[in-house]
Amino acid sequence: MAKTIEVTVWATGVVQDKEGRDVCLVLTEAANQEGKFTQAFDNYVDLPDRINVQVRKYARISDAEIENKFEYENHRPNIIGVTEATIMKGINVCKGLQEGGFLVINTTKDPEALLKYVPEKERKKLKAVATIDAIGIAPEQLIDYSGAEGAEDVSAIGAGLGSVMAGAIAAVSGIVKKESILAAAANRTAAKRGYDEVKIKVLK
Amino acid sequence: MKERYKKYTVDIPEDMKIPYACIVESPKVNGEQPQMLTGGWRIYRPVVDHDKCVLCKSCILACPDATVLLVDGGQKIGFNLDYCKGCGLCTWVCPVNAIDRVPELDFEDGVPFQDALFLLPHVERLYAD
Repeated sequence: MAKTIEVTVWATGVVQDKEGRDVCLVLTEAANQEGKFTQAFDNYVDLPDRINVQVRKYARISDAEIENKFEYENHRPNIIGVTEATIMKGINVCKGLQEGGFLVINTTKDPEALLKYVPEKERKKLKAVATIDAIGIAPEQLIDYSGAEGAEDVSAIGAGLGSVMAGAIAAVSGIVKKESILAAAANRTAAKRGYDEVKIKVLK
Repeated sequence: MKERYKKYTVDIPEDMKIPYACIVESPKVNGEQPQMLTGGWRIYRPVVDHDKCVLCKSCILACPDATVLLVDGGQKIGFNLDYCKGCGLCTWVCPVNAIDRVPELDFEDGVPFQDALFLLPHVERLYAD
């Protein structure tokens, strides 16, 4: 069985609910265009309808058909995205990270400044940590519930912060090509800037 | 339980038992509930300017989580930062603008660090190497 790349995105409830979901949707849509098999879904164990609660959004990308259809949580992720850096202070976002994983954070700080919030065990497994000022490039879009719980998303997928983060994740990890990200994101400029302006610190 | 119903029941192992509908117990010690720490939600921390504060106690009434406390023998306003969600209501109600909202990442500590949001014994197995 081909290896499935698992992406976990941490976001704040309601405020960044759409943005966290957009990161996963843009990445999976871009991988879809390259002919890969994908899944993207939310975590409802986190009770995401409380403002500013930490919520997780997931994506899975694989060369072969994904057989894991009934487990709605990535327990062993390869890539972690954090759309609000303050989340890292209160919770171990890298829990269960696989060897050679990537961490991409939305903040104006340098990558080294936020490594202290990752426990020693997970820090050894990180291959690279990257930061991107995503809110400075494209802020959060209108806060509404469109797109949630299977409803139609009237605001475009990847209109704001989500496409910047997706571009940064693609640049750091190389799971999808730049052209596919640009084609999948509604805000092409934001995705391109996210891809180009991400600050990467390679740890090993 | 009646004897005839026993064949329909399943014995759940002790480490897989979870509370019904994941409802946590009501607070017991000092009004705190360590299973429901909300300090990690906070993006902006409330900081009191004690020179401006007139001890009107509006913030104590406004706080939805009862995290505003009187400390120093009732002479100062303090916060229980394990549970403060940083909603900013105390800043909003303060008549003398004595409470500031400072980005949480400017401070070294003050947030309870959790290993996982809902750590149940059988979930820990799934994260293992």
